Formats: sequence, C-alpha cells, structure tokens
Amino acid sequence: MVLIEKKPGLDECKIALMPSGRRGVVPRGTNLLKAAQELGVELESICGGRQTCMKCQVVVEQGQFPKHGILSDAAHLTPLTAQEIEYGLNQRTDGRRLACAAELTGDVLVSVPEESQAHKQIIAKAASDRVIDIDPAVRQVFVQMAPPELGDSQGDWERLSEALQSQWGLADLRIDIRVLPDLQAALREGDYSVTVTLWRDREVLRVQPGYQEGIYGLAYDVGSTTVAAHLCDLRSGAVLATQAAMNTQVRYGEDLMSRVSYATSDPQGLARLNRAVIRTINDLAEKAAASCGVTVEDILDVVIVGNPVMHHILLGIDPVELGAAPFALAVSSALDLKARDIGLTLHPAARLHMLPLIAGHVGADNVAVQIAEAPHEQDENVLIVDVGTNAEIVVGSRQRVLVASSPTGPAFEGAQITHGQRAAPGAVERVRIDSQTLEPRIRLIGHEEWIVPGGADDLPPESRATGICGSGIIEAIAEMYLSGMIDPGGLFLESAAGRTRRVRYLGRTAEYVLVDEALTATGSAIVITQNDIRAIQLAKAALYAGTKLLMVHLGVETVDRIVLAGAFGSFISPLHAMVLGLIPDCELERVVAVGNAAGDGARFALLNLGLREQAAWLAGWVEHISTPLESSFQDEFVAALNLPHLKDRFPHLEHILPPHVDVNEDGRGGRSRLRSRLKAQQASLEES
Amino acid sequence: MSEDIDITQLETPELLELIQDDLYDGLAEEVMASVNELLSRGLTPYDVLTRGLVAGMDVVGVDFRDGILFVPEVLMAAKAMKGGMQILRPLLAETGAPQIGTMVIGTVKGDIHDIGKNLVAMMMEGAGFTVVNLGINVDADTFIKAIHEHEPVILGMSALLTTTMPYMGVVIRTLKEQALRDKVIVLVGGAPLNEAFAEDIEADAYCRDAAVAVETAKKMLAIKRGEMTV
Repeated sequence: MVLIEKKPGLDECKIALMPSGRRGVVPRGTNLLKAAQELGVELESICGGRQTCMKCQVVVEQGQFPKHGILSDAAHLTPLTAQEIEYGLNQRTDGRRLACAAELTGDVLVSVPEESQAHKQIIAKAASDRVIDIDPAVRQVFVQMAPPELGDSQGDWERLSEALQSQWGLADLRIDIRVLPDLQAALREGDYSVTVTLWRDREVLRVQPGYQEGIYGLAYDVGSTTVAAHLCDLRSGAVLATQAAMNTQVRYGEDLMSRVSYATSDPQGLARLNRAVIRTINDLAEKAAASCGVTVEDILDVVIVGNPVMHHILLGIDPVELGAAPFALAVSSALDLKARDIGLTLHPAARLHMLPLIAGHVGADNVAVQIAEAPHEQDENVLIVDVGTNAEIVVGSRQRVLVASSPTGPAFEGAQITHGQRAAPGAVERVRIDSQTLEPRIRLIGHEEWIVPGGADDLPPESRATGICGSGIIEAIAEMYLSGMIDPGGLFLESAAGRTRRVRYLGRTAEYVLVDEALTATGSAIVITQNDIRAIQLAKAALYAGTKLLMVHLGVETVDRIVLAGAFGSFISPLHAMVLGLIPDCELERVVAVGNAAGDGARFALLNLGLREQAAWLAGWVEHISTPLESSFQDEFVAALNLPHLKDRFPHLEHILPPHVDVNEDGRGGRSRLRSRLKAQQASLEES
Repeated sequence: MSEDIDITQLETPELLELIQDDLYDGLAEEVMASVNELLSRGLTPYDVLTRGLVAGMDVVGVDFRDGILFVPEVLMAAKAMKGGMQILRPLLAETGAPQIGTMVIGTVKGDIHDIGKNLVAMMMEGAGFTVVNLGINVDADTFIKAIHEHEPVILGMSALLTTTMPYMGVVIRTLKEQALRDKVIVLVGGAPLNEAFAEDIEADAYCRDAAVAVETAKKMLAIKRGEMTV
C-alpha cells in the first residue's frame, strides 16, 4: 500500500506522475505500470502488462524536481527490454519507456503523454424504445388486517400470511429473513394496513406501512470493457435512467483471456476481479438511482447478463476452465438468487436473475441479444453480429437458429494497429477519401465537423486527432479500396504513390498518411500501414468465415437482414462494413445497427417474466457450432481475406466496387514477372 | 499446364529463376514441369531443391514478412512447392541427399486454433524441412512420443490464447525431465506471445510469424550444427 507523505526507506522509491501530480512511495523493484495503477493513474493497457500492445508509453523526466523532492533519471528504471528495443527499431519512441516493461530502481518523475492515458469512454449504450408487455417478477399488494388481541398466540407474519391468502388468494408464501426484523414496526406504523412486495407470488421481499407505490428494478449488461445499467419502473416499464461505466477490471487486463490468466495466476486475482466488477455494478446502481430521485433500497429486482467469463467471475467462480478447450462452464442454466448473495448493495431482500449461457464462449449476453432481436420469431433469415474481441454470430429464423463465436482479436478495438486506439475523444471515427485526389476527410469523436487537410489549422487542441478507432479503420481501409489505392488482396498499388504524396513507400512497403502532423495531438502523422491492413483483413476474415460456416450449416446462400449489435456495431457504417467484407452481401437498407441489444434484452427480461422462460428455452434450443473445429474453416477464412471476398459475390455493391482485378501487377515492389517477360520474348522471336 | 513457354529452350540458370518466379505466383503445374526438366538435364534432386524450390520460397518468406504477400498467396506458393516436392522426395531419399531436418509442430493442449500454425508448417516445408504436424490440442506426452518417433531438430508450439500459452512451459519442463531438451530447438509462436514469455519458459526463440519462424529455424540450426558462430 502506498502512503503519500511517507519518507522512503532504503528499499523504497519515490514516484510522481504528471500531469495528474499523483505521487507516492513504492518498494524498489515495483513495476512502473503497477505503481501508476496503485496511485490511481490509469494508463492505456490493452495487453494487461505483457509488453505486447505498446500503449503504456511514458516519458521519464531528467533532473531535480524540488516540488516533489525527486531527483529523476532514466537510469532509475531497469534497462530496456528486448521488446522495447525491437519496437524502437521500427518506431520512433523519443526515449519513451513502456511502463509495463520497467521496474523502479530509484526515484522518478514520469510524464504520461495524452495518448497513453486511459480515456473516459464514450458510451453508446442508449436504451431502445421497443414495446414489450410489462409482467415483472415482483409486484406490490395492499392488505389490511386486524390488530392482534390478547390470547391470539399466532405470530404477526402468520397473521399477515393469512390476510394475503384471504384477500389475494396467495398461498404457501415464504418471507425473506431480512424482512422479519422490521415487520412489526411496519405493521404498527401502518395501523395494520401494509403494502407487501412479492417475488413471483412466492416470497415476501418487503413490507411497507400503509399504501405505497413504487417498485424498481435494474438490468445490467456486464461487458468486459463497459458495464451498462438501465433502471426501470417495474409498473410502467419506463426506463428512468441509463448509466454506463468502464468495467474497472480493465486495469487487470483488457481482453477476456488476460482476465482469466490473472484470476488463475494471482492468488488474489479472482477476488480482485470479483470486487472490481461488483463495485462497478454497485456504483452504477447508486448513480442511476440518484439521477431519478430514488434510492438503491427501492430496487427489488435485478437481471444481469454477461459473457461466460464475466458471469463466472461475478458469481465468484474461478473462470480457469473457460481459458482452455473444452471451455467447460461451471453452470449454464438461469439462476435465481438474492442480489446480496453476490455483494450487491440494493434492498436487502432484492432478487437477482442471471440469464442462462449457451456455451463456453457464448454467454448470457448473447441470449439477451436474441431476446431483444428475436431471430426465432422471424420468417426470414437474419444475421446478428455482435462485434468485439470475440465476435458472436447468430444466423437463423423460426425454423432454426445457429450461433458461433469467432476469435476476431482486438484489431477492431484499435490494438495491433499502428495508430489504433479505443473509441475515445480525439479518435478518428469516420473517413472519406476522394477517389480522384485521394485526399481524406475525417471526423473525430467529440468534434462535430468534418475536417479536411489544410482546412482547419485553427482547430482547438482538444479537436486534434490522437489516433484511429475501430470504426475509423474500417472506413479508412474500405475507402482506400474504393478509391483504387489498394487491390482486392489488400496490397498497396504502386500506381497510388504516383497519384498522391500521401502514399509513401518505406523500402518496398507503403503506408497512407491519413492525418497530417499539423492536425494531430501528438505532432506526428497518423498513418495506415500495409500491416494495419493485414491485421484488419485477418480480423474481418475470422468474422466472415464464422458467418459463412453458419450459413452453410443452415443451407442458405444469403441472409435477408443483418443486425449489427454492440457498442462498436452501432458506429460501423453498414456500407463500409460490406465493402470490406466484414458481413455478407445484403440489401443495404436492411443492415441495421441496434446498439446495446444485450442490455435491451436484459431489460426486457427484467420487465417480463415470460421472456426469462423464453431465454431458458432458447439457450437449449439454439445450436452452437464450434467454428475452429470445422474442417472447412481454414478454407473459408483464407477466401474471406480478400476485399470483400475471393469468391462470394456482392450484387448490392456492384455499382460502387472497383472493377475486378485478379492480380496486382504493379504492387509487388517492382518484382519482375519472369514468366510474362519470357513469354513476350519467345513470342517476338517466333515472329521474327 | 501452360504451353506458352517452351522451357526446354531455356538455359538452366534461367529455368531455376523461372521456378522461383512460378513458386511466387503459386503455379504448381509449371513448377512441376520445370523440376522434371531440370532433373532430365542431370541436376541432382538436392540441387533442384535448394537452388530452385527453397531459394524461391525464401523470396516468398521475405515478402510475406514485409506484408507484400499475404496468406492466400503464401498458401498457393506452398502448394506449388508441395507439387515440386512430390517429385523430389523419393529421389532425395534414393540418392541419400543431405537432410535439412525434421520439425514436429502442434497447437498446445487446451487450444483449438490452427491456421497460423499450419502456415508455419507449410513455410517450413517450403524451406525444405520435413514437417510432422500434430494438429491442435496436443499434450506433452504426444509431443514427447513424436520426438522419439521422428527425431526432429525443431519443435514448434503454437497458442492463440493467453490462457493456453503457459502449457508450452509444461512441455519444455517435460522435455528436460526426459533429457530431451538439448536434442531439439524449441520455437514458440502465437498472437499473445512475446520474447519475454519465450525466455521465461526457456524456449529457444519466439517467432512473430511464419517467415520469422523459417529464418530463425535455419539460423539456429546452422549455429547448432556448427556452420555458423553466434
């Protein structure tokens, strides 16, 4: 633990972090990323400290800083690691260190550059307006009973129970133990008229004096990055508040498998992950309640959905089995619990319903998506894609629904991309490229206007680009293809370098300058490299191949409608996603983004008991396909690497796709085509 | 089969160059025709292999590493290579030509992803190695058994999940227990890995992609065989 004003001992180092000014004393040998976290400074770290994502770069200041009592020196950190050296060979680092790669050997003052700070997320999880029947699991009934008389030896609970039976026909009720301590006070205060809150007409959760109205519930979608909560009036079904926050588990590793590793490798790991997510959930409840004038004690029912790893960690179950094949779930059916059982601080007797899971990689969040979008009630074939580090794919109709998960990797979230970043203010989110001049127009998150090169030198500093997020990369690469800058195989065309200074060759490989240095927050240009294109091709091919396998299983060649779910899905332009071949061909008007469908599904299950039963049925009825085990997966994957696809046709894009080119004749770094040269030679010989 | 060039009219050096270019373009039938032509001119199978096919796959490897060639093209090239090898393999065995070496490769226990690993296997075949691909979900015992059976010079392990990569360490520990560790060069790879991890589990090297795997394998093998100093 860090004591801020403690004098450092012999085996301790002082550290201060700028611009936050946080400082403290940590044991010598403490990892810099860990030290920053302990001091409450969140650095961008997608890989969770594995020296892989290269996002936690910091600057070690040199010299004496009297204000902090620190003599800072780069030599007060352990030497550069092999990863840092290798990275430095390919990228300008300006002497920056990876916080996760360095350990403290002396006092340091560290500056955290803007792009290394973990930004507050833009949360795109707004509630939808779909109508469903209000039939919640909890309801209130008003009862009047006679006061006790001398000689009446029954307990007050038994007499209340009798009144509920005679006035409401409710038999065999039980009462939550937490209600009993205040039962008699409520009865006296209400002069033996009380409002009783019941769960499924089986259990008494609350007894309030007199006549009362007001019963609230919470629906949560616990994502690995974002946790979203809807606070609902369970009588009207109205959404009173929607709140979202970053899952504070992120500090222990960005992607799911890093969390599983952390839970497994650190003795305190599971407990820490569990506490972090429970705290996030409780904080959201407080915020949501406060924003609409109720208290957390007014909340009586909760529905939570999440992927299998989140689900297990929430329940305190070690997710180790989910980390490796055969990815066995500890429990897959729906659970009816007390909210207090997992540490939620709501009404003491509040109920908790966890929707069921489908498979080791397909969780309750996907069940909730299906509840919200109801593919099993459609006559036509619908494809639902929930894009994330692990994409979930659902294809089907009322006849049959198939589901799979596909390992797309973190490229869509900006990892593995040279100037990639998460969706946060300053990120390039939209891109248009003029097909003649190859000049870009961009839009940044947090800035309304389109920005053109040279046209916005007076931009305020906060409107300068910091990097490019997933939706921006997808649009950029699709536009590069549409404008004839890259071929269907994803390779830069050498002819493009003759058309614009923005395509520049470094040796034999090219990159495209998307944002000039004058328009960036970092002062260096934002580029899309050949390898960035490759990373996106790999990610999109995994998604398309998974989709295609499900379509083949279902025996369909096209789908009638495509639903893009998830926070990321709602930002993707359907046109660009299709040009890239992220999704199969479909009428463009029939590709819709639905936002946080998982959160909506959780809310519907909160408001309608029947939908909980439907969810339980669905989880057993849908067929799960393990795509990597399919023999044709590799062939489908390879065919899907092309833009939009090697073989599959896209009739709905015919008018905009560049003319089909089979071979990139000029893009292979000028490599001579001996066979064609010889052919020409021999032909001319024969002629002469 | 392309009839448009008469390969019998080409000088041998030009034909060797043509093989390399046809490999690059993934033209299997053309590669096989040139292999047969070169053999009929009296080149040893070993020369055809090293000066034609392996030299051609070297170029493919470099361009793959640089992002100029991508997975589909590399697969086509590997297929063309395979065509050439079909002709050469029996002849190489007959003539007792020097062996480049055998590699045993697999995706470790708990992991079911194999596309990247298959690509490494193909590129290694392209470099002239004999590759024994054990597939996915391979446990330590299976690796050990394969090492006894095939006596490889290289052991390759792959994992796509942060949670399955530690199993590589288990395999290496088992190798040590069975006194097999010094017999093989252990190369590891997969999306969540890095050099530090490879060092931790005491593998010989981490390989970022298939092209790096081939380069590393060749370099380390040369050092081990004393053809090169560190």
